[in-house]
Amino acid sequence: MTDTPRPLPGNGLLDCANRDASGAVGQARASALRAGIGLRAIHHKEVIARGPAVGWFEAHSENYFARGGAAREVIEAVRRNYPLSLHGVGLSMGSTDPLDATHLGEIVRLARELDPLFVSEHLSWGSASGRFTNDLLPLPYTEEALRHMISRVAQVQEALGRQMLIENISSYLQFAHSPIDEWDFFAELARQSGCGLLLDVNNVYVNAMNHGFDALRFLDGIPRGVVQEIHLAGHSLCTVGGREIRIDTHSTPVCDAVWSLYSAALERFGPVPTLIEWDSDIPMLDVLVAEALKADRVLEAHHARAA
Amino acid sequence: MPALRELQLAFVAAMFGESDEVSAHVRENGMSAEARLGIYQNNLREGFIKALALGFPVIERLSGTDYFRQLALEFLGAHPSRSGNLHHIGAPFAPFLARKFEGTQYAYFADVAALEWAYEEAQLAADADTDVLSAEAFAGVASEDYERLTFEFHPACRFVQSRYPIVKIWRANQPDASGDEVIDLASGGDNVLVLRTPECVEFHSLPAASFAFFEALARGETLGSAVDSAAGSAVESAAESAVDSAAGSAVDSALGSAVGSTPDCVPAAACAHRTDGASANETAFDPGAALRHLLELRILTALRVFDALRSQPDAE
Repeated sequence: MTDTPRPLPGNGLLDCANRDASGAVGQARASALRAGIGLRAIHHKEVIARGPAVGWFEAHSENYFARGGAAREVIEAVRRNYPLSLHGVGLSMGSTDPLDATHLGEIVRLARELDPLFVSEHLSWGSASGRFTNDLLPLPYTEEALRHMISRVAQVQEALGRQMLIENISSYLQFAHSPIDEWDFFAELARQSGCGLLLDVNNVYVNAMNHGFDALRFLDGIPRGVVQEIHLAGHSLCTVGGREIRIDTHSTPVCDAVWSLYSAALERFGPVPTLIEWDSDIPMLDVLVAEALKADRVLEAHHARAA
Repeated sequence: MPALRELQLAFVAAMFGESDEVSAHVRENGMSAEARLGIYQNNLREGFIKALALGFPVIERLSGTDYFRQLALEFLGAHPSRSGNLHHIGAPFAPFLARKFEGTQYAYFADVAALEWAYEEAQLAADADTDVLSAEAFAGVASEDYERLTFEFHPACRFVQSRYPIVKIWRANQPDASGDEVIDLASGGDNVLVLRTPECVEFHSLPAASFAFFEALARGETLGSAVDSAAGSAVESAAESAVDSAAGSAVDSALGSAVGSTPDCVPAAACAHRTDGASANETAFDPGAALRHLLELRILTALRVFDALRSQPDAE
């Protein structure tokens, strides 16, 4: 079973309160229609002890590369009880350095061992000449960068033996020569590489505010059916050089404007598995569970409409 | 517009403050290119400092948050991340501190950092492929082969040696410690075996000779040569006269009392540190007791008899 690529959840599946995935595809799909939360080390013990009522968990792949020890035990235990997705933050796919074969190998191994619902990475780069910023840096949206990302997605999907998801990032600059709109680049990447999209609604909002475009135009630019997962997170409003800019800190609750945009996204894409991300100043587990429940209510409303 | 490769090289050079060439390719749109690039520079620095502090909380506490930030930035300049996995950045930190503080009152930082890195590595190490070795594993070994026995250790084992009391320093700087303990840096060193039990990572402070013996075996040396290493390092050389037959008697005496004994599991509450056996200035090295101790620690996962011919593929 672990060698078979798992069919990815589509839209309009039955909702279900049962969070016991036990590896069954049908249940995993249904359960993922309740919102999930990120798995963070600070909550490990509590997650295992309590089994919070969330639909699924997403883990940062790099945090579970260890082939033994406590973190490994935790992720195996979580995987037994919930659908799980693996979200990479370090592969630096858009870099013009060769892909790090060891890093990719670890992701492939983890995906084979844990049989996650999704394996995702970012539409970004983070390194050049072997020096890593360990950040999600924006690409110029050019034909050259598009061809590069398409070949990188092909390389990773071939190594994984399954489809991957690519997520849009928040950015604080655009390149002077970037003739393709971000949403067109994102949609075209999915169309030509066959990857699915992980739509981060907060990142759409942050970029719309930072670069001055209409967030709904971004959503309208993405075809229905390719968005397989949605991220929701909080950001911070900072002042840099006398101008306000939104920074994707993942350290605050999801803001009202992003909840509205989430609703618009579900309107367009249907009830997509949704994840609450919170990576800095991580609050008590219950706060995350409450945010997930809030997303559930939006999901349910849209699901009822879709049914 | 430069090609993607050139743009990325220029961007990373800007991140490390080496060139502002990339600014010309950034769209200003109400904010200067420098300010926009500055946001990413800040992300890089803050992310690096935070990741380093996660791996070295004792060094952060010893140096103070402000000075730690300064240290981390200097370290970032000398050793930028070479991996998409931030867990790796800590590997050159102890050697960096050793060079920086050599001959100063902070020379002990390097050894404390080495202990923290060993702790981190022990946490992230693989599980053993096989069960822990029991005394029964020796049953099939002929006594004339004892000298040539080699062992495999659990992948989480690490060895850290210092002339400073690093375990005491480590303990006194844990989050739950009061922090007002006075530690005399000259009060004696530590020979630490770091290992992982199913519950947690433990520090075992060993006598110098046992430490040398365990470390030699962990490096893959034969039992006979490990006994030599240990005897060589013992403060008292009383054991040296016994070395010739020591490997054989080590196995016999270890088996004598290890067969059938079931070492207790260490409960999580007792985690962190144990001082095993005699202090570092013990009188004589007893290979049998040391091997028995090794079996009780449950960190040996395999044994084999070293075959000089087979280990040299080109030998006729």
